[in-house]
Amino acid sequence: MGEALPPEAHGAALCTLPGMGPARLVAVARAWPDLAEAWGRVLDGRIADEPTVAAALGRSARDLRGRGRPQARRIEPGEVLDRHRSAGGVSASRGAAYPEALAGDVEPPVVLFHRGRPDVLAGPRVAVVGTRDCTGYGRQLARRLGRDLAVAGVRVVSGLALGIDGAAHEGALRVEGGGPPVAVVGSGLDVVYPRAHGALWAQVEETGVVLSEAPLGAAPERWRFPSRNRVVAALADVVVVVESPRRGGSLHTVDAALERDVPVLAVPGPVTSPTSAGCNQLLADAVAGVARDAGDVLSLLGLSQAAVARGGADPRPSPTPDQAAVLDAFGWQPAVLEQLAVRTALGLGTVAEALHALEAAGWVAASGGWYERVARPDR
Amino acid sequence: MLATISSATVLGVEGRPVTVEVHVSSGLPAFTIVGLPDTACREARDRVRAALLSTGLPWPTRRITVNLAPSGVRKVGSGLDLAIAVALLVAQEEVEPAAAAGVGFLGELGLDGALRAVPAMVSLVEALDGAVAVVPAAAAAEARLVAGHEVRPVTHLREVASALMGEEGWPTPPTPPPAPPPPPEPDLADVRGQPVARLALEVAAAGHHHLLMVGPPGSGKTMLARRLPGLLPPLCREHALEATRIHSAAGLPLRADTLLWRPPLRAPHHGASPVSIIGGGTAVMRPGEVSLAHRGVLFLDEMGEFAPQVLDTLRQPLEEGEVRVTRAKATATYPARFLLAGAMNPCPCGEGSVPGACSCSDAARARYRRRLSGPLLDRFDLRVEVLRPEVDDLLRGEPGESSTRVAERVAAARERARHRGVWANAELGAAALDECAPLSDGAALVVEQALRSGRLSARGLQRVRRVALTLADLWGCDGALGSDQVSLALSLRADPVGLSRG
Repeated sequence: MGEALPPEAHGAALCTLPGMGPARLVAVARAWPDLAEAWGRVLDGRIADEPTVAAALGRSARDLRGRGRPQARRIEPGEVLDRHRSAGGVSASRGAAYPEALAGDVEPPVVLFHRGRPDVLAGPRVAVVGTRDCTGYGRQLARRLGRDLAVAGVRVVSGLALGIDGAAHEGALRVEGGGPPVAVVGSGLDVVYPRAHGALWAQVEETGVVLSEAPLGAAPERWRFPSRNRVVAALADVVVVVESPRRGGSLHTVDAALERDVPVLAVPGPVTSPTSAGCNQLLADAVAGVARDAGDVLSLLGLSQAAVARGGADPRPSPTPDQAAVLDAFGWQPAVLEQLAVRTALGLGTVAEALHALEAAGWVAASGGWYERVARPDR
Repeated sequence: MLATISSATVLGVEGRPVTVEVHVSSGLPAFTIVGLPDTACREARDRVRAALLSTGLPWPTRRITVNLAPSGVRKVGSGLDLAIAVALLVAQEEVEPAAAAGVGFLGELGLDGALRAVPAMVSLVEALDGAVAVVPAAAAAEARLVAGHEVRPVTHLREVASALMGEEGWPTPPTPPPAPPPPPEPDLADVRGQPVARLALEVAAAGHHHLLMVGPPGSGKTMLARRLPGLLPPLCREHALEATRIHSAAGLPLRADTLLWRPPLRAPHHGASPVSIIGGGTAVMRPGEVSLAHRGVLFLDEMGEFAPQVLDTLRQPLEEGEVRVTRAKATATYPARFLLAGAMNPCPCGEGSVPGACSCSDAARARYRRRLSGPLLDRFDLRVEVLRPEVDDLLRGEPGESSTRVAERVAAARERARHRGVWANAELGAAALDECAPLSDGAALVVEQALRSGRLSARGLQRVRRVALTLADLWGCDGALGSDQVSLALSLRADPVGLSRG
């Protein structure tokens, strides 16, 4: 009966084995392209006979020969397949319905689980990534970039993480009938992480697709994220880094993109801001091009910029004199109420009132007690 | 052979009158104390016997029964020693019953007959029946704080006996030396810059709004909080007596000649246990820090380092103004109406206020955030970020406004609150708030935007309105609340960065 099962059944069964991460699975699939055969070797305890596989598996190789075998015998590939199919869907690198975008990749995911509509992957895809610990500047830009790209029909690919990732999808979801969002997550598709993004996750599933290399129930362990970032880069036609410190997961995505000759763009930030240091370094090293707005991204894709709505005057109400004074008192860094009061020499009440009005109008973004200018009126 | 003498014991911080009855009858020599004495009280037998004998007074070798009425109230401590000794003298007809009538006796006896002070003297004297109180000289000043009793300070059982037998008069107490003036309270003028934190202190004092300060180490949170009691108006007589009674019950040193007129400041260390904060104890019930801070300020420095269950025990007293401590052996209610001032870092590394400057992991920040539960955080009307002062302010800045001037404005604001029938604006109910603090059109718009953006909850709205009303009181504005007052109140109740993200 094993012969009748499609390859994704054995692929899914393989990745539920303890210690079997995406990279090891790739090594296994290279040694035995027929996943049914690989599964048979797991049952026989001969999975690590091939030196390349043994090297990839490391210490887990011994486990799979010994303790892992009885455990593997209890796993029924057919049952694993049914479970993942009913929870969304699954495809294997040599099976049907595998995303075309990943088929030609240097290190394609052996199995890919999905929830939502996998057909939305066909079309231009741009990854918008960045740090979780972002500033209001980055959040605002990611949101706007997501929105403008979706308007142009681009699929925004991101990781559903806190900060920039989430903001990009929030922006994309605001556009009705725009490019559907694509998310690649590091946990099992039934493990919503981060939990604060539960609602966003559900919206992405509804209008686009959520992909994962991890089987159902897999916890968001740290080691899963670099390989998740590899999938983000592999799916993207362009990678845009909105905000990234000197080290961080976004730079993994950049590395993976450069390996695949995927062009990388970075949004420049204040040179004094630690959250933009990574982006500025990419620009200084000439590794990345400049992304000032969605237009820069679209022209790289060869798409028309006309689709992005930018007609007419700024819809925001123009500031009153007091509000303009407060707005002028902002530097490039976030500020608190008292700094603005000192700089403008206005009363605390007046400044607080101006800030609330500016925030409501969209000139200023607030986070906790900190305020940031996100735009200035044209002169 | 029966004698009846009045004395008192203490339950929580309240005094209770006790009648000491001694019956001496024929029978085998024995000494029994009945009427729910605790261990210290039961041991009075040995102290009283030794004290009488070493003073040269007779001890009956007969059957002695001491009853402490009312029998249902638990008697704690050694304060009844003197009353038992005097009752024995009356029962042996050494002292005329009339001489001891209308006199209350308090104090612990040493084996040589010397009289020692006991805690909670204020509450004990208040509870005494009779117009005269005989107390240990060491506690005389404390006893005199209560009006309405003639206080007779004595140092030895012999003086009491000879005065009661009519051999000598009551000893005349030496006039106590004038108490040294209280040390000056720290002045707000020492604080340079920090306009928002200064305003928050002023508003907290004026409206009795609980205050949370979040900021990096070295930003002056502790310095600011220590200046908060100095901004509060002095206590009225009733409140001063409440506070004095609690401090006396806890056995804390009191200033000799006066009530606690200044609001107390209590700053427990963050290693404090729940019992030390709330009160209780197994053998002797003691008021906790929340009660010692009654009518004053409870300052919790490094609030993120307190055990979460300790912080959550604060919720009931914050809401009700008193704590009910229930133990197997006793139940006590302590007053606990305090102004809570908290200070904490935004995250474990301390630098998380400035976006992007924090080096903590997400998990470490989330753990730190969980130390303060949502309901507790919600009870802070004022939540401000305190930044490190600017270098220019430190070196060249003008000294800030002095505590005296700020306290004047605070007192004026409290006066306006009193006209509304409350002690401070934080006590205003929702209905009263609608009546005396309507929103102007501009203010209503600001509130609507804040509600729609999800930054403000319905409960938060009431708190913001109270703070805005306090601002109006401080600025001397009448009528509907303006949009600047409401905006500023909203800004003073920001979600601190470290505590809101995620």
